[in-house]
Amino acid sequence: MSDRRRTRIARLAAALALAAWTLAPAAVAGDGGAIAIGIPLEPPNLDPSATSAEATQDVLYANVFEGLTRIVEDGRVVPALARDWSVSDDGLVYRFRLRPGVRFHDGTPLTAADVRFSLDRARAADSKNPLRDLLQPLRAVRVEDELTLSVVLERPVAELLTYLGWGNLVILSPASAAAAATAPVGTGPLRFREWRKGDAIVLERNADYWGPPALLARVTFRVVPDASTALAALLAGDVDAFSNFPAPENLAALSRDPRFAVVVGSTEGETLLAINNARPPFNDLRVRQALAHAIDRNAIIQGAMYGYGQPIGSHFPPHDPAYVDLTGRYPHDPARARELLRAAGYPHGFDVTLRLPPPYYARRSGEIVAAELAAVGVRVHIQNIEWAQWLEQVFRNRDYELTIVSHTEPMDYDIYARPGYYFGYSNPHYAALLAELSRSRDAARRRQLLGELQRTLADDSVNVFLFELPKLGVWRHELHGLWHEAPIQGIDVTRAYLDAPGDSAAPGAASRLPALLLLATVVGLAGLGLVALRRHVSAWYLAGRGASLLATLLAASVVIFVLVDVLPGDPAAYMMGLNASPEAVAALRADYGLDAPAWRQYLDWMLGLARGDFGTSYTYRVPVAGLVAERLAVSLPLALYALTLAVAIAAPLGLAAALRRGRRADAVLMGVAQAGLAVPNFWLALLLILGFAVHRHWFPAGGFPGWGAGAGAALWALTLPALALAVPQGCILARVLRAALGETLEEDYVRTARAKGLSERQALLRHALPNALIPVLTVLGLQFSFLLAGAIIVETVFALPGLGRLIFQATAQRDLIVVRSVVLLLVAAVVAVNFVVELLYAVVDPRLRQGGQA
Amino acid sequence: MSGAARRGVGPGSAFGAAVLALYALLALASLTPLFDAALTLNLGARLVAPSSQHWFGTDPLGRDVFAMVAVGARTSLLVAAGAVLLGLLLGTPLGLVGAARGGVAGELVARGSDLLFAFPALLLAVLLSAALGPGALTAVIAIGVFNVPVFARLVRGSGQALMTRDFVLAARAAGRGPLAIAFVHVLPNLAGLLLVQAAIQLSLGIAAEAGLSYVGLGAQPPAPSWGRMLSDAQTLAGVAPWLAWFPGLALALAVLALGLLGDGLARTLDPRAGARRAP
Repeated sequence: MSDRRRTRIARLAAALALAAWTLAPAAVAGDGGAIAIGIPLEPPNLDPSATSAEATQDVLYANVFEGLTRIVEDGRVVPALARDWSVSDDGLVYRFRLRPGVRFHDGTPLTAADVRFSLDRARAADSKNPLRDLLQPLRAVRVEDELTLSVVLERPVAELLTYLGWGNLVILSPASAAAAATAPVGTGPLRFREWRKGDAIVLERNADYWGPPALLARVTFRVVPDASTALAALLAGDVDAFSNFPAPENLAALSRDPRFAVVVGSTEGETLLAINNARPPFNDLRVRQALAHAIDRNAIIQGAMYGYGQPIGSHFPPHDPAYVDLTGRYPHDPARARELLRAAGYPHGFDVTLRLPPPYYARRSGEIVAAELAAVGVRVHIQNIEWAQWLEQVFRNRDYELTIVSHTEPMDYDIYARPGYYFGYSNPHYAALLAELSRSRDAARRRQLLGELQRTLADDSVNVFLFELPKLGVWRHELHGLWHEAPIQGIDVTRAYLDAPGDSAAPGAASRLPALLLLATVVGLAGLGLVALRRHVSAWYLAGRGASLLATLLAASVVIFVLVDVLPGDPAAYMMGLNASPEAVAALRADYGLDAPAWRQYLDWMLGLARGDFGTSYTYRVPVAGLVAERLAVSLPLALYALTLAVAIAAPLGLAAALRRGRRADAVLMGVAQAGLAVPNFWLALLLILGFAVHRHWFPAGGFPGWGAGAGAALWALTLPALALAVPQGCILARVLRAALGETLEEDYVRTARAKGLSERQALLRHALPNALIPVLTVLGLQFSFLLAGAIIVETVFALPGLGRLIFQATAQRDLIVVRSVVLLLVAAVVAVNFVVELLYAVVDPRLRQGGQA
Repeated sequence: MSGAARRGVGPGSAFGAAVLALYALLALASLTPLFDAALTLNLGARLVAPSSQHWFGTDPLGRDVFAMVAVGARTSLLVAAGAVLLGLLLGTPLGLVGAARGGVAGELVARGSDLLFAFPALLLAVLLSAALGPGALTAVIAIGVFNVPVFARLVRGSGQALMTRDFVLAARAAGRGPLAIAFVHVLPNLAGLLLVQAAIQLSLGIAAEAGLSYVGLGAQPPAPSWGRMLSDAQTLAGVAPWLAWFPGLALALAVLALGLLGDGLARTLDPRAGARRAP
């Protein structure tokens, strides 16, 4: 191809691209509309240069932040903030020219000094950047003028331009770096607008973008934590798109649904049955080969992934040009597997533990792997663990035998040469190949080397290579421009647009005010109640109660601290993820204050609390008090709503049954109550969603619009969850009420009341009910605490950002400071409620007041 | 009033007993090799709708759902029963001490149970699974621990009311100590209430076990459990609704049966309930 022809083709392509730019917005109605995208995990924070969390990349990559280069959908590296570059002949100096006229979202212009700042920050000794180790060959970053800089290397790094396009090496403005975790300031086509913690992150169009502007006016990334919620949210229209849908079993039905487009692509995720090569019996090649022969990849892809996902025979993505198909290296052959085991000295197999992290592909593949290994005599014990445990036990301490995990980083074949990596594998030949690859810039030689790497891993049967994780895109038919392939972690929405005006859920402004108002109301009411009670109980009694309350809380704080402290799993390791160096983790630990002795940490916590300071969340990097206030604005109204509904269910049921006690109606009513409490609330929640959100669009399937959207909308969103919680609780309450009334109605004083001519109804309401209230109040108090903290499963089903989910999430992420403070707060709430209940006892039953001996 | 009701064996408790017996039978039957075959993976027969061959259909891995429900019954009943036993054995004496002693001892019991009960249940379950590994025994402890304050507080709250009654005053006048009074005179009067509560806690325990295994903290796979079956079934509700119906129904039926049986027992065992029915 002649140079001129090539230029012509390039020009044509450019013209076409330009046409596409101009045509695409024409198809967009109004201001471009808004969409909501479902993501499975909430980002722990919004600083992509200081966390390896995939969720952070999903939201921010290419949308809010850009690097010198970037990766596009087909995996190529193209210029981004760097207009162009040149490389010295020895491959040691990269000279970048920046695009002129680029501004950060805060209005400051992008300069070479900002780039140097970002790269130096990423490779500094105390850096928390997961790619820090990859930047070690960098000797210096030199600013030549305002818009020109050079990166000087100690040795050639052929992959440098690719690394610079990854989401962790984006450029941020120095002024914003300290607050980037909560207020990211980048250069991208979208800017950060709002983060409703536990629920959603909202981005909006950056009108001052240097390139073609984003086509959508607003994009909301909504956290949809589990697969069943995902389907409901999609069907109910709460979410417009999933870049990677978490339930492959639904794709067949979804692709038949004219409302949705299903687009299956590939990711960079090699899914492995990882083997601890350092631990017997797996240090024997024959045993590892036996495992490979025992596994039927296609059965796993069919059984766990419903046919989605490509089989792999080594650690390399099939869509890469350098891929070598090695899936035939160890065909599924149980007889051969048994033979190899016999030869290795295990004629009767052995017992082994398979530790599975939370993702669905791991848990589902695990069951099939266990069954297939059992068929060749290897007895597998499955242990499902959280990510934090996986990171500590499997990844860091290498305390495991088998595990299943997907390695989603691109070009991550270097992990097989890392000393101390959790595979426990070491092969000097492999390391030598890798070193040559890093030096070599000759395409043909590189390809040869990459093939050799793949073959070496297969020969050594380091792990059982299962399948390449698919990217299962599902979105509304009117939505276009989302990526079909995922060569890098991220959900690029910059070219996404809608055919028709979007009717996507508008983001409500979250406000902290309602939470504070609510708290104030509750505290005020409690205070008023106390003043009213003063007539009934003595000051001494109250003072005594107050002192014992305080002692309880102090005891609780010690218990909580110890319990939370012994949780296995390190918060710093969790934040840093798979690529982190031990130094980076240690730096973060010091940052968190986790290197201090335990008593010191406890003392700091207590002193902080005494000052009203709950501390700062490890993951969110915001004050814990604010986090809790936001969640309380959901949980407290939900608990009160559910309790009200429960009483509304219980009172008529219990009273009616008691009036007709011993008769058929009593048995029927109590039977109904029995049936009602027999329905587990998460099951009821699911039925309610299917019935009233998916079939009939009366209620949202999940999520919470925030009180800023109006009290009506907020309460509407809480109705189904409150109902799911209230039905079983109301039925319990009805039974307790009925049982208590049954007792009191037989008392002599009630009999007397009846004898003096009161009707059964009057006797019940005036004489029996007040005395039956003691057990009812006890249970009501218990239920309130249960509803406040225990609604977690229902919160999960409805994707509500409540306290329960905060605890669950904080525990999973080992955000210990949040766990501690929230638990202490809940303990305080329960203790206070019980205190009030006991005071009410005293009002209800005057005998308990005498001498304050209650 | 019918003779059956007078003897305290109403149709409800008879139904409850029958269902429980059926579950027990199923749980026993699930120990036989017949069920092993039904529980092995068979990808050729995945997601088969209910039929004469597979009464409850099959799951995504081709296992027979009826067999899984049967084995699930075993897990569920054992875990809930263990948890109630734990709660009764520890909670009742604590509550009695609290009711009898008042003062410091009573205060300690009350605040101690506050402390325990105030702990978010799931956090404790997570902690326990982290320490002991997730599994059925962990579930028993995680659920049972929360039964302790339930019984303790019930006994304390109702026991206190009884402590001011005439028969207690009489016993005190006769020289009995407060603890003796609590155990000898107060406890029998609480039996009915305790039984009703035990029935409630047992049914709650079954539901809680399902909840724990629903979030993955209960019995570990491949051992079937109702909660995990339900969570696995959710995403398949549109494709294979039977996966969600049968474990859910089995769960609700078990809870219902226990509740009805508890009711019947309460009526039979409570001496005053007998008096009530006298003409």
